[in-house]
Amino acid sequence: MAHSASSPVPYSLPKSSGTVKIFFYTSFFWLLLSMILGLIVALKAINPEFLTGNRFLQEVFTYGRLRPAHTNTALIGWLTGVFFGVIHYGIPALCKTELYSEKLGRFTATLWNLNYAIGAGSILAGYQTGVEYAELPLLFDAIIVVIVALIFFNLIRTVAARKERVLYVSLWYWIGSVLFLAIVYIVGNIPAEWIGTGGAQMNYYYFYLHNIIGLWFTVVGVGTIYYLLPKLTQRPLYSHKLSLIGFWFIVAFYSWNGPHHLINGPIPLWLMKAGIIPSLLLLIPVWSVLANLIGTMKGVWYKVSQNVSLKFMITGALFYGLSCIQGPFQSLMGPHAILHFSYWTVGHAHMPLFGGFSLVAFAAVYYIMPRVVHRHIYSRALMNWHYWLSVLGFLLFGFAMWTAGIIQGFEWMDGKQLGASFLQVMESLHIYLIARSLGGSAMFLGQIAFAWNMYKTVRAGQPIAADDEMFLTR
Amino acid sequence: MANESEKNPGILLFGAAVLVGFGILGTVILPYFDESVTTPTPTAELKNYPTDSAEARGRHVYIREGCIWCHTQQVRPVKADSKLGPVSVPGDYYYDKPVIMMTQRTGPDLTWVGQRYSADWQHAHLLNPQKIAGASSIMPKYDYLTEQDRNDLVAYLLSLKPAPKENKGGK
Repeated sequence: MAHSASSPVPYSLPKSSGTVKIFFYTSFFWLLLSMILGLIVALKAINPEFLTGNRFLQEVFTYGRLRPAHTNTALIGWLTGVFFGVIHYGIPALCKTELYSEKLGRFTATLWNLNYAIGAGSILAGYQTGVEYAELPLLFDAIIVVIVALIFFNLIRTVAARKERVLYVSLWYWIGSVLFLAIVYIVGNIPAEWIGTGGAQMNYYYFYLHNIIGLWFTVVGVGTIYYLLPKLTQRPLYSHKLSLIGFWFIVAFYSWNGPHHLINGPIPLWLMKAGIIPSLLLLIPVWSVLANLIGTMKGVWYKVSQNVSLKFMITGALFYGLSCIQGPFQSLMGPHAILHFSYWTVGHAHMPLFGGFSLVAFAAVYYIMPRVVHRHIYSRALMNWHYWLSVLGFLLFGFAMWTAGIIQGFEWMDGKQLGASFLQVMESLHIYLIARSLGGSAMFLGQIAFAWNMYKTVRAGQPIAADDEMFLTR
Repeated sequence: MANESEKNPGILLFGAAVLVGFGILGTVILPYFDESVTTPTPTAELKNYPTDSAEARGRHVYIREGCIWCHTQQVRPVKADSKLGPVSVPGDYYYDKPVIMMTQRTGPDLTWVGQRYSADWQHAHLLNPQKIAGASSIMPKYDYLTEQDRNDLVAYLLSLKPAPKENKGGK
């Protein structure tokens, strides 16, 4: 099976994928929009009169419609879109071949964005379903499932036609993640009428709520970490076996985690236990990722200071690790009784999705963009601004929310659960909500630097010569 | 290092799908066989609104406007919920479509809000929360709702009560 001539034909620019470009460019747009929506939501939590100038704004931009529009834009528009871009680049690269069908790829990428654009509008117009993270009406869900199926088909055909027999571990994670996305999305979006009793519905919904993170974003994100790690460090992966152990642990235990969102809640006790135990076992796969990372980085940590992309990825992996320590902790009955329903959750939800996998996605974008548009990243300074504003902004955001959540939890235990005393707690949280907006504003500024940098890269980045050694590694 | 099975994406996908399937079986399907999940309580019967009743329409408004994002409908047997009334059990949610217990308590829990305030209070509060509840309330004003929508919403809120004890389906 030895395959010697692995480099593409020299001295002509490698083909660049339109599919990757569409997914990337549109995801940058959704990223900015989700930040704007998030910021409006945060400001409305400080001053409910914000942006209520006329009846139209009052209705369409009411807090309760903006919030799901923000989460969906971040999850479906930005993070899913950008990771689709990453795997449409990475899977052909690891298979040493081209994408099976560019045409199908461009079609799915375009449809994905059109579908979500109209879907987001429908949430603002008052058609949210009332199921968290699954707010899009059924029609859009059906189209999403069809698109994911087409993407899966396109990618699996690419893998089948691979010129490299051994499947590098990233391929495991990436192919698996698209399959899981389809499974999880279907389970979570079955209409309530078909599921039956409310007591059964909650198990579908919390399975979905947890696993859209656990089996899609985590799996595709960890695959991306394993893809970038050897490339950014120019070191072989520390342990292939460890990465596979991590894969099977994620697959075996993540899907059991839904009930841990209902600890102390209206579900049978056995179901709570079935949720808590696998939550604790999740420490194993996350440690396998971090151990692999640390093992690979040994002796080359200095590269973090030279390579902004690597800096993004290491930080992202760190936040992913911290989320997976926070998560099992929260799933224990005691902490859950205090922290559940509080602002703590908001901080926790942003840690894996922004601090963790968005940073990993940024690292991937910075790595892939030059190879797709054949231009160097426009500005390294902007990359650093992007990094520091994102990370420091998120830390302010996160700690504001975690502190606010702890205060809420203990005040509620003191009996301030209703009426005037509830309001008194709310008043004391005002300063933390302001801190959240400041952190969020910094995050937003960081993303503006990112989007501007990407725009300038495409327009005015320094062209890369066809014989540049950058093109020898995909 | 790599063995033969590692070169086969079919085995990989099949194995992974089976393992995820176990999780679905255990946490999504198995609860159907638990009686506490599949038996409606008297409270659930109270919340079994006839189609197109004011309460059913009001519940729709409650979801449409996103009240769900700040108000939970779930009372737990924990200290932080000690003043909120009877603890929620699975059967209480029997007829809810969809279930809206939700995840954020930015505003107070509304599981049993029907026994706390009058219709007049609810109307006045929806129109101007800051005036009725207190200046530091961060709830938006719902004065943009049509009169019909607001009436329906209040009807729904007032219906959120526990069933009287030891008495199947109300009086």
